[in-house]
Amino acid sequence: MESKYILETEHVSKSFGELEVLKDINLQVEKGEVICIIGPSGAGKSTYLRSLNQLEKITSGKIFIKGNLFLHREKNRTVEKISAEKRRGLLLEMGMCFQRFNLFPHKTALENVMIAPITVKKEKKEAVRREALELLDRVGLADKVDQYPSRLSGGQQQRVAIARALAMKPEIMLFDEPTSALDPELVGDVLQVMKDLAQDGMTMLCVTHEMGFAREVADRVLFMADGIIAEEGTPDEIFLNPQNPRTQSFLKSILNP
Amino acid sequence: MEVLKRIIDIRHWQHRTKIVVGVIFCVLAAAGILAILNPDRQALMKELSPEMQQLIAKDEGRSRKRVTVTYNNLAVISYCSCSSSGAEEMSERLVGFAGAVYHADSGVAKLVGQMANYTYRMLGCGENILHGAKLTIFLTVLTVIFGVILGMFLALGKMSKRRIINRLSSAYIFFFRGTPLLIQLFVVYFTIPGVFGFAWRNLFDTSSTEAVYQGAFVASLIAFSLNSAAYCAEIIRAALQSIDKGQSEAAKALGMSYAQTMGKIIIPQSISRMIPPICNEFIMVLKDVSLVFAISLMDITTVSKNIMTSEGSYLVFIPALVIYLIITAFFTCIYNALEKKFSVYE
Repeated sequence: MESKYILETEHVSKSFGELEVLKDINLQVEKGEVICIIGPSGAGKSTYLRSLNQLEKITSGKIFIKGNLFLHREKNRTVEKISAEKRRGLLLEMGMCFQRFNLFPHKTALENVMIAPITVKKEKKEAVRREALELLDRVGLADKVDQYPSRLSGGQQQRVAIARALAMKPEIMLFDEPTSALDPELVGDVLQVMKDLAQDGMTMLCVTHEMGFAREVADRVLFMADGIIAEEGTPDEIFLNPQNPRTQSFLKSILNP
Repeated sequence: MEVLKRIIDIRHWQHRTKIVVGVIFCVLAAAGILAILNPDRQALMKELSPEMQQLIAKDEGRSRKRVTVTYNNLAVISYCSCSSSGAEEMSERLVGFAGAVYHADSGVAKLVGQMANYTYRMLGCGENILHGAKLTIFLTVLTVIFGVILGMFLALGKMSKRRIINRLSSAYIFFFRGTPLLIQLFVVYFTIPGVFGFAWRNLFDTSSTEAVYQGAFVASLIAFSLNSAAYCAEIIRAALQSIDKGQSEAAKALGMSYAQTMGKIIIPQSISRMIPPICNEFIMVLKDVSLVFAISLMDITTVSKNIMTSEGSYLVFIPALVIYLIITAFFTCIYNALEKKFSVYE
């Protein structure tokens, strides 16, 4: 079942008890597309991103990866069972970077990158090691491979985290506010790595507050508010000519504080 | 090789390490010298009174000895007591220390001799592993090992989202923490064999007198391990839950299964946090093990109690305390070293 879209969500909703966080979100992502999700806090941006790889259980909706049904839930129950093996295969198409990096502190940078291919994909240690070294070189940390995360700066940790996610060779990368926990002077390095990734044709979904990055790199910008996609369009459409009054007031407050 | 070189290279040691190693070295050297100087059995016996020596000589070749000779060699100090019964009743005690032999029938020498004898017996010297301090240490170490292993499963069970597993683990912990250890020991040692119609000693070669001790050892190991597991479970659960939630999320996002996440990510990180409370638990178990006196296993406590009743010596408990303290100090050092080793990355 080939599909034009690498990632599709249909009617994704999520509520915590009475509180509706996501309301009927539909999105189609083409291969190679870079999508930035912006919006005020509490809009459900992170929840949406996290529900894509099932860190959050959605209440209802469907998620397709590369045209394959990945999850179908209605009324908080999984309706269509998908074999564990297939689900894991589809899950591995998505790599994720967290706001707080979440590196494994008891492993060195290199071991952090190597652990998933070895334990999950059961790949050969030597090959994984070579690839991991390449990945760390690509994110500019060739000299830090044997350091424990506690010895690395926030920016370096986030770049290791990106390398760790890339080690599983995902087709889609999810970034959950990757620069929000960083000191301002460290943001640039991480954004540069993300730009390089985008240029290499990686499909990316970024929840971000870096408007400059969104303008420069994104193919499409989604503005989320109150659990819905309030407006979407190209960066120019959103940033230069926003239609929705909520978008207008959000951009005004963030660009001219 | 590198590690060995670093250890040997004394110049790079920390100041504190130098002092500790220095003190240990001095103590060992002093003990070594004293041990070399310590008079042997022959030298000790030579100092006995002629009458006693005659009696012992007469005893030779007899199947039923008239004289009871006790010889305790504690390396740095040795103690010998001879007593005869019957018509020629007499008794003599000798203490050998630092190359000299002292008569220990009165005063300080008598006290020293007694203490040497009590220590010898409480350490279980000259006996197998089911006696004295050896039993206490052996039983404690095994109990904590089994307790931690079983406790790990209980902790995972208590954190499980499956209702049955969760309830069972909680009930287990509730039961074993809510009832006295002594009664649990009695239940395992008396009630269970009574109900199921077997005896613990029958697990072993009953023609040997040791079978009773071996049976009691197995029963107490089971009781203590089951009890310790309940406490370890809570320790382990607290340590596992103290690990940031982001860690399991990251592992999940990388496609790791629950077992892989636990085994590779969460448990390794929680070990350094578990060690101090497990050390605490170890010390508690070390002292709880003294309850085996109730099923007449010969641990430090039982031996000291026996000495107290048979010889009426109320001083015996002082060396008992010292022995317990030394064991505790030794294992605390080991746990501190382990904690350092497991938290290198922090």
